[in-house]
Amino acid sequence: MDSESHRKMADTMRKNSASNLVLIIAGMFLFFPLYAAAEFSLRNGADKTHGFAAYRWIFDQSGFAENIGITFRVTLLAVVLNLLIMVPTVTWLHLSGQRYKRLVEILTILPLIIPVVALATGAQLAMPEFMQNSVYELSFFYVVVAMPYTYRALDIGLAAHPLATLTNAARSLGASWLKTFTTVVAPTIRPSILAALFLMVALSLGEFTLAQLLHWSTFPVWVTNVSQQNIVGATALAIGSLFFAWVLLFSFTFIGKKNSTIVTEEG
Amino acid sequence: MSQDSLVVKGLSRQFGTVHALKEFDINIPKGELVALLGPSGCGKTTALRIIAGLEKSDTGSVMLNGKVITSDAAHKRNMGMVFQAYSLFPHLNVAENVSFGLQMRKVSKDNQKKRVDTILELVGLNSHHKRFAHQLSGGQQQRVALARALVTEPEVLLLDEPLSALDAQVRTNLREEIRRLQLSLGTTTLFVTHDQEEAMTISDRVGVMNSGSLEQIDTPDVLYNNPATNFVASFVGVMNKISSQLSDGHIEVFGKRLKAVKGEKSSGTVYALIRPEAINVKTNTSNPNAKVLTRSFLGASSNIVSQLSDGTIVQSLMTSSGSGELHPGSTVELEVTTSEVLVTHD
Amino acid sequence: MKHSTTNNVDVKGALANKGAFHGFFSPSPLPLLPLSLFFLIFFLWPIGALTGNAFKSNEGAFTFSNITMLFQDPYRLAFKNSITLGLISGFVGALPGLAIAMAIEKQGSQTLKKFIASISGVLANTGGVPLAFMFLAAFGPAGLVISALKSVGIDLYGLGFTLFSFTGLVIVYAYFQIPIMVIVVTPALSSLRKEWKDSAANLGASKFQYWKKVGLPILMPSFFACYLLLFASAFSAFATARALTVGNIALVPLQIGSLVDGNVTINQANLGYALAFGMIVISLIAMIPYIWIQNRTAKWQTR
Repeated sequence: MDSESHRKMADTMRKNSASNLVLIIAGMFLFFPLYAAAEFSLRNGADKTHGFAAYRWIFDQSGFAENIGITFRVTLLAVVLNLLIMVPTVTWLHLSGQRYKRLVEILTILPLIIPVVALATGAQLAMPEFMQNSVYELSFFYVVVAMPYTYRALDIGLAAHPLATLTNAARSLGASWLKTFTTVVAPTIRPSILAALFLMVALSLGEFTLAQLLHWSTFPVWVTNVSQQNIVGATALAIGSLFFAWVLLFSFTFIGKKNSTIVTEEG
Repeated sequence: MSQDSLVVKGLSRQFGTVHALKEFDINIPKGELVALLGPSGCGKTTALRIIAGLEKSDTGSVMLNGKVITSDAAHKRNMGMVFQAYSLFPHLNVAENVSFGLQMRKVSKDNQKKRVDTILELVGLNSHHKRFAHQLSGGQQQRVALARALVTEPEVLLLDEPLSALDAQVRTNLREEIRRLQLSLGTTTLFVTHDQEEAMTISDRVGVMNSGSLEQIDTPDVLYNNPATNFVASFVGVMNKISSQLSDGHIEVFGKRLKAVKGEKSSGTVYALIRPEAINVKTNTSNPNAKVLTRSFLGASSNIVSQLSDGTIVQSLMTSSGSGELHPGSTVELEVTTSEVLVTHD
Repeated sequence: MKHSTTNNVDVKGALANKGAFHGFFSPSPLPLLPLSLFFLIFFLWPIGALTGNAFKSNEGAFTFSNITMLFQDPYRLAFKNSITLGLISGFVGALPGLAIAMAIEKQGSQTLKKFIASISGVLANTGGVPLAFMFLAAFGPAGLVISALKSVGIDLYGLGFTLFSFTGLVIVYAYFQIPIMVIVVTPALSSLRKEWKDSAANLGASKFQYWKKVGLPILMPSFFACYLLLFASAFSAFATARALTVGNIALVPLQIGSLVDGNVTINQANLGYALAFGMIVISLIAMIPYIWIQNRTAKWQTR
């Protein structure tokens, strides 16, 4: 290697050393609790051996199937509600020339301002008897709490395509409204819908506060209660679900994200 | 030899397997405006950025007024640069943007004000001091960018496609202003663009680049009339390519024997490179050799696009008054007005 | 230059304004009805109801007595603690988060960015018992880090440190606050155009001068907005606080939780709602500037 290349390499290394240091320290802070928890969760008891026994613990608890089922059904309803309410509204907004965009933007950002704890007290106060008797009331509130995120995901995703122009083009070429929707609109907005639904699912699976304060036993609530009995098992569950969620999200970033802006450099 | 302001030797830059720039040399005398012209990806911006110090070259050197500056950091080079768009600092108003470079050079506040006022007057924005970038039109933003680059009296002015993001009318006006400014200030200038009309109308010399190489650098006249390569011939202006047989240093086009320039040593099928204005269109003829496809009215002249029997499309320029009766389908006789013609083998 | 959103494309003509429904429907707001109804029932109504009750006495008359109670201990202390927690946790999350986001931006590799984005997404949503237990394993009395330090002679717990304290809370909160910061500040960072950096260098500014005169001033509003978001996040956090504290730290979300669980004293029926109302007011104070700043800077952030 000649001196010119040496100089270049040294330059690059010096330039990146500060940012590398930051990332390494961050990585350590991130990593330690994970490592400690993972090590803890793999212990087999008083003896110093390690195994996966703790990871089976949660599945053996009575109530596992029941609570997973409850959370699953609540999530399902939340997803359906989102599909029925958010998707048509945002699509219509984009097709109709965005006259009411400001209004909807303000509307959907409001849930961000209100702490979930406060919403829970209001929910308990205001909701009629029949709603408060069903665990499915949670689904409705989950949709509200997720609104700032789902709306933004849908809005950004749809804005990346000139939807009004596309539908006009399809219509002028002779397609009926139904044909236009199925062949032009739906495929275009499918990634955005999936992104929004993904957010909804993620929120619903991990939501604790509303469920707890409204006295429902969902999976997160049940796990919290049961965790007191077996710390190792609970830690294993924490690590396991973290890992699982990360794998899911990581693979999602490779599938869906064509909307990210790429800077083009002229040669 | 006149005093060369900017001397660039042997620059090259490789990104992985892509040769963005190959053995790039250029000498720019003081006060000259040179354009680097070429399509996207030809390396013109890479060359400019290396000269500005914003990128490093793999090989070669850059000298400014005799001093080697190859390894100098960008902020030490005393060059002015204008980018395609978005270069104004959004949080500073026009006056603050323009005085930024003066601030960096620790010019006194009073002097800053004087020089900012002068330069803004020069670019025609003397009542816009307090405006912000988002309150200005594209053309105004570029003028502020120009003022900001010039107020520090740089040795060299570098322009990276400064007009490409603007409307056609604004583009035409602004390029004239840039030339006027450049001439009155005597600033050595390097202007990168993909628009050949831009390059040809305002530059002292134009360097045509293709795939990382500088194919030819000459005055616009020479470039137009004596293109050194096939690429330059077809990139600058419109060029017809008419096939013919080369023998004994001559070819025949439309029945006329022409001397082949640059083809003397070979024979076989070649293409004659002929400009539209060198082809005459005869309307009343007993010897038609082409059929008119379209006629485009350009004002004093009209562009006639015709097709030969072998399918070749030929463009010719003639006066509008003489072409009035031509319409798609008319048969005409084309003839070459020059006696020499450039030939190429591909 | 690539225009990537329809908001930037200047589509002229009446057709664009009337959208796809030109000639078929007048753009009446009718399709907005489902969303509006939903919003009304499941958001405005609960919030309105609790606000109303916050000002109701036990007998139903209008009163400020619930509100004035908030200014007395233990509720005053709870607000003080929660607000302090928000302010401190905000910084503990914002500064490292910014540093990390900047480091990632510097490194530039796409895979790294995707990796960080997904990790941040997951960590930003961790909380409650899972998070508490993870930290217990590392920083609890028998935790790995504690034991390791003990073996080199540093006995943190002996020195008075405990995970179940205000400090412990700040440390644990950092685990999701920092990722949140990375997520929300990255768009602001990437909105720093290359042209500004190049122009500054060309005009004679060193790296340091660029940051001092251009980079940081432009980033400041966004940074402040993100800080506000982190404040609100720490202020309102419930699950993690509940998991880590055993009632030893007065925090507003926990007090509301305990009141909701039925620990109400007779003449304080509406106190919970007053507390909730107080939370809303403080959250409003933080979030309204946040939204306003994000809206403003979004204008010059679109590419």
